[in-house]
Amino acid sequence: MNAQQLGENVKQKFGAKVIDFETLGSDQLYVTISPDSLVEVAEYLYRNEGCRYVINGGTDRRQQRDAFLITHFFAQDEEKIYVAIHTEVEPDNPQVDSITPVVPAANWSERETYDMIGVVPVGHPDPRRLVLADDWPEDLFPLRYDVEHGVKPPPVEGLAPERLEPPEGASVVPIGPYFPVLEEPAYFRVFVEGETVVGADYRGFYCGICGYVHSCSYCQAVERAAGIEVPERAEYIRTIMLELERLESHMLWLGIAGHIIGFDTVLMQTWRMREPLMWLCERISGNRKTYGMNLVGGVRRDIKPEMYDDVRNVIDKIGEEWAELAGAIPGDTTLITRLQGTGILTTETARELGAAGPTARGSGLAIDVRVDHPYAAYDRLEVTKCVHDSCDNLARVLVRIEETLDSIKIIHQALDEMPDGPIMAEIDEELPAGRQAMSAVEAPRGEVFHWVLTGTENRPERWRVRAPTYANLQNVPPMLEGNALADVPISIGSYDPCFSCTERMEVVDVNSGQVRVYTEEEFRAEYDQPRDE
Amino acid sequence: MIASKLKEAILSLRPGRVTLKYPFEPHDPEGDFRGYPELDTDKCIGCGGCAAVCPARLIMIQDIDQNTRRLVRLLERCIFCGRCADVCPEDAITMTKRFELSTDSGREDMVAECEVFMATCQRCTRCYEPPTPLDRIMEPGFRDDEIKRGGQDSPYEPVKSE
Repeated sequence: MNAQQLGENVKQKFGAKVIDFETLGSDQLYVTISPDSLVEVAEYLYRNEGCRYVINGGTDRRQQRDAFLITHFFAQDEEKIYVAIHTEVEPDNPQVDSITPVVPAANWSERETYDMIGVVPVGHPDPRRLVLADDWPEDLFPLRYDVEHGVKPPPVEGLAPERLEPPEGASVVPIGPYFPVLEEPAYFRVFVEGETVVGADYRGFYCGICGYVHSCSYCQAVERAAGIEVPERAEYIRTIMLELERLESHMLWLGIAGHIIGFDTVLMQTWRMREPLMWLCERISGNRKTYGMNLVGGVRRDIKPEMYDDVRNVIDKIGEEWAELAGAIPGDTTLITRLQGTGILTTETARELGAAGPTARGSGLAIDVRVDHPYAAYDRLEVTKCVHDSCDNLARVLVRIEETLDSIKIIHQALDEMPDGPIMAEIDEELPAGRQAMSAVEAPRGEVFHWVLTGTENRPERWRVRAPTYANLQNVPPMLEGNALADVPISIGSYDPCFSCTERMEVVDVNSGQVRVYTEEEFRAEYDQPRDE
Repeated sequence: MIASKLKEAILSLRPGRVTLKYPFEPHDPEGDFRGYPELDTDKCIGCGGCAAVCPARLIMIQDIDQNTRRLVRLLERCIFCGRCADVCPEDAITMTKRFELSTDSGREDMVAECEVFMATCQRCTRCYEPPTPLDRIMEPGFRDDEIKRGGQDSPYEPVKSE
């Protein structure tokens, strides 16, 4: 099946409710449907066509179409298709049916869409604010074009996010606002009965460290929309840099995982092995982490043939030591007892809540964008999907260990087969406006997804991004249930979460059970911290 | 269990000491490192190419009068991507290897300003009707979203010349 056939299936099933559909190549489908059929169509794609939910986004198109555009994105991995479901909503009555009751993975992104564009998801089971600050005005939606650029509403003291109440008889253990083991801002409220976790609430956001995957995905989306042919050599260079980033990220992660469970030898050794890789990236790109190599049309820097041996030597050395480490881990009971059987995320939950990357593959879901929706040079390279089905923390560790070794193989193959030629496409004219394209990249943490609607003057009109942690963190509450409290940090850590949201201090009075949230002022007064300005 | 611990011990002991003596000994970056972007004001022709491509939008261009164009760079926003050096037609910008860029003397160290003498077109004196493409890239939301509207705290008040 290709995108055209899937579009015809949808058209046949829903008839006049499908206003229009178009395709981009054989792998991208854009369907415009009437608002009243949104839930049906979403359910049909999700249940009958085997689609996986990706993200939701809202666009202010009142100037062009006198409507808000609400778009739900799905992926059909077996058939290698991405599907966008567009719905136009009247500006006078900005509401649209929520699909969260039939597609649970849409929970966060529908809330975010409301925050940003102000189209109410009617029937959403948990319509709390997600991304805006608590003191942001209720009626100011930042993505609407009539909101002044750079507007800064005055701050309001003493507000707190709405929180889920713990179940009857359970106590709350706050973890955060500075997540103690990942040294990043994140805030979980874990509900416990004795030592056992019975639920959790989390409000946090985004993933940002994987610099190369996002720039790569964005450039690919623009290139696809504008019909720019990227030179083959640039595709290989992108592939090599993506795999170097995966190596670096997985090595960092294994170290952190060791650190979380108190086994710092793993941290020190994996980070020692990783350092020559960082220097290699510095030699190639000019910086150890922010490679800054992608541009629309190709890459800025070449990997010159005289550098090939340098790359091979560094990754071979890592491969040798990594294999030794991987050989030692399964026999080490210190690690195994902490990882095996903890943090269970069942295959069904992972699919329902849209898990991505090693989190999904550790739960037996064989999805990998590199294979399912090949981009850059992956269609010419051998990529293995590393899947484990024990669904626990150990499975997620093993997936990453195997992927690291697989990445080394991919880099070797790419270096051997890399063709000569230019690294940038010639772009002489302004890019066409009003075109759309989707692009995804398999980041170390999972699928990064970008949708771009091109605008005038070489600028995007709308750009929607989904980072993998956004999908994976929604899986945290069901995964924590039933665990001992001591296994919570490694379970959260096993997602390789990447936080960049700050939260506030919550204090639970053990005698009265009262929960209160400190404002910034109270917190500073209490702890006498100077304001650093 | 014992075998695993032994394997781990060997793996840990073999490399010996790997910690570098930095900062007590210098550690120079390798390859084409992207450090502090140095501007050679003698070479700058004031074309504004750098301001147009800068993803961090840190370069502001002002035409003070017919013959003087001022370039202000707010370097605390620099992400060291080196796009300015890529597009500069006169190679006036070089990405140096300097990376120890912390300062304890406030924000004025982070602002660099230079004025370029612009020759006047002999035929028409002003070749482009305003708003020129250059004026366009200084519009809020395009390039210069925050720079000009710094208000009282504007880092552009204390200015140090390069």
